[in-house]
Amino acid sequence: MAAGLKTIIALSFVLAIGFLLVILSAALFHNYLTLLVVATYVIAPLPNFICAKCANPDDFMGDAGYAVVDFGRFVTGFLVVMGIALPVMLAHCALIQVPAMAMSIIGGLLIYGTIISFAQFFKEEQDF
Amino acid sequence: MESNRLFHKFPTPAWINNANVRTGGVYLSGAMFSLGFFLFLDAAVFSHSALNGSTIHITFVDWIPLICSTLGMTVINSIEKSRLNSDSFSYSGNGVAWKARLVLFLGFALIAGGLAGSVCVLVLNYIVEEAQGRTLWMGVANCLGNALVMLSCVVLWVSQNMEDDFQYTLSL
Repeated sequence: MAAGLKTIIALSFVLAIGFLLVILSAALFHNYLTLLVVATYVIAPLPNFICAKCANPDDFMGDAGYAVVDFGRFVTGFLVVMGIALPVMLAHCALIQVPAMAMSIIGGLLIYGTIISFAQFFKEEQDF
Repeated sequence: MESNRLFHKFPTPAWINNANVRTGGVYLSGAMFSLGFFLFLDAAVFSHSALNGSTIHITFVDWIPLICSTLGMTVINSIEKSRLNSDSFSYSGNGVAWKARLVLFLGFALIAGGLAGSVCVLVLNYIVEEAQGRTLWMGVANCLGNALVMLSCVVLWVSQNMEDDFQYTLSL
C-alpha cells in the first residue's frame, strides 16, 4: 500500500542509475575490478534476511535466537563498510583511478539504498 | 547480587539499555572490524603494488597478529554470557564458570597477543630497518588494524551484555 507505482518506478530508476555508474566506472577505464562493489552490495542485505528467518526474536523466553541475529548484523555491517573500503583501497594502491572509485562508491550506495528501501516497503505490506 | 559480580565493576549509563542502541552497537562492531581488516589489507596490497619503492614487503608473518586478534574475538564472543556467572546452572559437571573464564582468558590473551605482535612487527620490521613514509605506514596500519579489531570486540561484547537488561524489561 505504502509502495505505490510511483515509488517503484523511482526506485527502479535509482537502481538503474546505480548500476550505470558502476558499469561506467568499470568500462570507461577498462578496469573491471570495480564490479566487485556490486557483488558486495548485492550480498550485503542477505545475512540479515537469512538470520532473521533462522531466529525468532519475538520469542523472548528462549534466548538462543539472539546470537544468530547478531551474527547477521555483524556481517551486514562488515559488508557495507567493505563496499566503501574496497574501492578506496584499490584506488590507494593505484589499481583503479580515483574517478572510478568515486563513481563505484556512489553507484554502490545507490544500489544498496534501493535494496533496503524495497525490503522496507515489502515489510510494511506484510504487516497488514 | 553475587551472581552479577563480574559486571558490577563496569557501571553503564541508563541510555545504553535500549534495543536500538544495542542493534546499532552490533552494526558498529561489524563496521569497525571491516575497517580494521581493510586497513591492513590495504597495506598488504600496497606492499606488492608498483608504488612500493622499498625492499620491505608484507609476508605471512605480518598477517599472524591479525589472525590472532580475529581468533581471540571469535573465542570471546562465542562464550555464552550466563556461563561466566553461574556455577549453579552447571549441566556438565562442576566448575563450568571456572572453565568459561579460562576460555575467556584465552580469548583476551589472543587479542592482547595480536596487538602486541603487531607492535613487535612494527618495531622489528620497520623501525629497526629505518623505513620512511609510506613504507612505515604499512607497519602502522598493521597496529591500527589490530587496535580496531580489539575495539570492535569491545563494542560487540558491551552490546551483547545489554541483552540481559533488555530481556528483563520485556519479561516484566
